[in-house]
Amino acid sequence: MKKAVKDPKNITFALIAVILVCMPLLYTAGLLKSTMVIFLGKCIAFAIVAIGLDIIWGYTGILSLGHGLYFALGAYGMGMYLKMQATGGRITDFMQVGGLTKLPAIWKPFLSLPASILMIILVPALLAGVIGYFSFKNRIKGVYFSIITQALTWAAYSLFIALSPYTNGNVGITEIQSLVGSVKGKANGGNLMVLFYAALVLLVLIYALSCFLLSTKLGKILIAIQDGENRTYFSGYCVSRYKNFVYILSAVFAAIAGAVFVNFNGSITPTQMTISYSVTMVIWVAVGGRGTLVGAVIGAFLINLCEYNLSSGSLVEIWQYVIGILFTLTVLFFKSGIVGVISEKAAALRRKKKMKEAEA
Amino acid sequence: MNENVLEIKNVSVVFDGFRALTEVSVNVKRNTIHFFIGPNGAGKTTLLDIICGKTKKTYGKVAFFSKDDQEYVLTDMKEYKIVGVGVGRKFQVPSVFKNLSVFDNMELSLKGNKGVWASITHRPTREELDSINETLELVGLADRKDVLAGALAHGEKQWLEIAMQLVQKPDLIMLDEPAAGMGKPETFKTGDILKSIKDRCTIIVVEHDMDFVKQVADTVTVLHEGRVLMEGSIDDVLADETVKSVYLGRGGERDA
Amino acid sequence: MNEIIMTLFNGLSASSIILLTSLGLAITFGLMRVINMAHGEFIMVGAYTTYMIHNIFAAYLPSEIFDLYYILAIPAAFAITFLLGILLEKFVISKLYGREIDSLLATWGISLIFQQAARSIFGSQGVLVQSPSFLSGGLSLGSVVISYNRLFILALVGVCLFLVWFIMYRSNFGAQMRATMQNRAMAQCLGINSRKVDSITFGIGSGLAGIAGCSVALLGSVDSTLGQNYIVNSFMSVVLGGVGKLLGTFISSNIIGFSSIFVENYTSSSIAKAIVLVIVIIFLQKRPQGLFVIRSRALDE
Repeated sequence: MKKAVKDPKNITFALIAVILVCMPLLYTAGLLKSTMVIFLGKCIAFAIVAIGLDIIWGYTGILSLGHGLYFALGAYGMGMYLKMQATGGRITDFMQVGGLTKLPAIWKPFLSLPASILMIILVPALLAGVIGYFSFKNRIKGVYFSIITQALTWAAYSLFIALSPYTNGNVGITEIQSLVGSVKGKANGGNLMVLFYAALVLLVLIYALSCFLLSTKLGKILIAIQDGENRTYFSGYCVSRYKNFVYILSAVFAAIAGAVFVNFNGSITPTQMTISYSVTMVIWVAVGGRGTLVGAVIGAFLINLCEYNLSSGSLVEIWQYVIGILFTLTVLFFKSGIVGVISEKAAALRRKKKMKEAEA
Repeated sequence: MNENVLEIKNVSVVFDGFRALTEVSVNVKRNTIHFFIGPNGAGKTTLLDIICGKTKKTYGKVAFFSKDDQEYVLTDMKEYKIVGVGVGRKFQVPSVFKNLSVFDNMELSLKGNKGVWASITHRPTREELDSINETLELVGLADRKDVLAGALAHGEKQWLEIAMQLVQKPDLIMLDEPAAGMGKPETFKTGDILKSIKDRCTIIVVEHDMDFVKQVADTVTVLHEGRVLMEGSIDDVLADETVKSVYLGRGGERDA
Repeated sequence: MNEIIMTLFNGLSASSIILLTSLGLAITFGLMRVINMAHGEFIMVGAYTTYMIHNIFAAYLPSEIFDLYYILAIPAAFAITFLLGILLEKFVISKLYGREIDSLLATWGISLIFQQAARSIFGSQGVLVQSPSFLSGGLSLGSVVISYNRLFILALVGVCLFLVWFIMYRSNFGAQMRATMQNRAMAQCLGINSRKVDSITFGIGSGLAGIAGCSVALLGSVDSTLGQNYIVNSFMSVVLGGVGKLLGTFISSNIIGFSSIFVENYTSSSIAKAIVLVIVIIFLQKRPQGLFVIRSRALDE
């Protein structure tokens, strides 16, 4: 336990959390716009999904190109609940337009909050469990798994668009208020604070849980699987079960992130379900630093903050180039991302210092 | 208790028309050091692959008898389950987990519940820690505990992998060319270690180094072109004319 | 009867487009084991090349020879994507051999750059390419009209397939290529310049994407996301066929194409695509190596 507290990576995370704690205070003091706080709330959601991705990709070496799907499932679940709160449990206008006369059975559980939360966790967990169970048992690995998740995401995306009476197709679920009510405008500043802190607590909990899991033997086995999958089998571990476990875990994190996201965003569209969006999530982890949880968190915040500031007005074109080049260069030359480069530099400095001390 | 720990019966393996093994039948006696020798392509490694579940047999059966005299048909089992019943394997190419420390490598090799839940809740007990330390002491890696396995020298990786097998406390250990990349004194030391653990488990070794074979072998099986050429003590094998002509006569494969 | 002919032809046509877009992948992914996520963008580059040449002919050259633009567009699209492929191989992919997942990610970054470049140059609105007059209209079979565009694509696929087969199995370069992909070290010992082989092989794979782009430009509007529409099916077709097998890709393209059209008879086209993909994925669970497996004695990755 002591070791975990002293780890510079965890200290960095604590620092990020403290900075985030201050943000709503700055907002009440009038130093920050509410849109910025809402945006940071979305970043918290992104950080949560990034942690999940980092566990399966950075630690275990499984690259999923389909986490946008789980993110969107969580977001649609929460979005539907919020929408029906607004309509008072009646069917929504897009369902009427689509020719439905009563609420379809799949959306029934989303009338109550506990059932919604349960579904938000269970549905992605089940889906990931089924996909993972078969793929990992049949030893589909490496790029093949990536391509299959990519295809599945694409299939799900097509379905969501095609089933528009149930999902509102391309438009998605829009104009929804958060769990605590509207967060837009000065009058709802209180709501925004409550929501923001709730999301932050969730992020801290998920970070802590992930840290704990990775500190146990499980974490070592995941690294072992990345190092040598067959060797891990021959050490007596049923690798496919471990892979499936972390795959489900990360899918659930993604779904939770989606549910948080929709509260801040006020809408959810199938864009979040696309392959590009899924890869964007991988970019956060890659640039921040795969294989370190804090790297995933930093990547999610940093890239989205840059995008937020750069992608307005004429810079929007440049941003796409920047992100493309940044990602390619990271993969080519800085495999361990920002956190990796910094910790290597720090280690080199420490060695130098020790050498000097030894000489003196 | 069955005096054989392993019974290989009529095992054949065919890869796309190529017969890697043809009707191989061998019994391995409990608490012995059993060598498989033969020229390259004789099927030694394939035989080990069959026993540990890495390769599927085409015909035949491999039965394993554990200490409590339970019979397991290894040819019908998944590799991780085979490890679970007490059959360990060291590969030809040293394969340690290079991004984990020496200690972590050892911890993952410990016997015990290997389920996901156990991996989260289980902490190594006093005895397990002692057993890791003792084994590392035995192979001379005790002071390298916190080094990443990837940073070890080739010979040290070999030692680590052997240690990982020992700490598992298996009934049967299979070592594929344990002496490769080791100098004479180290090879001799490996031999001593093998002799010292013989009363606890059975050891199957594939090796080319004939001095090493002479040092420790109880039984030697000679394989040639996927078939059993002969079996006996090292002296019988060395005296055999056929063996000489196909294998030893050529000065061994990689004469040490 | 007419319906059957129509379904058959639509199936053939859908298959030919999948085959054309996955032929290049069958080489870069199948042979070289490089996951080029920018393959779709090479298709887009081919399509835009066609559009540019189309515009040049329309603006500067007499209208009598306008139709010739398309004849010129095919080699031009091949040449440009061939060069882009060689550059990509040299500066990105060659650094990532043996790191499949990383090459997938790096080429994704490249594809983002290509997409944005297309938006910067051509705008985000789709552009249309007018078919040359000899390809407009269609062949009437009873009450069924088969468009010349699609017949042309069918023929083009045939030609490409033949050329790829010829290069791979009947040319000296093909022998060097297969030797390098099977056993790099051995090929080098035999005096094959394996770097050059890699580079040209990747170039050919990319060039085929350019030709595919040329043909899909005739089918609808061209925009920066064009490549993304084809990439999923192309990858699935290569994986389903069995990586490294040209015949496998040919058969699996037909399977995916025909079954999509068949399922479409019962439901909408996007649901049909989803269903076919899911079926393919389920099939791959049973046979992860695809329809045609190259077995070897090398047991580990």
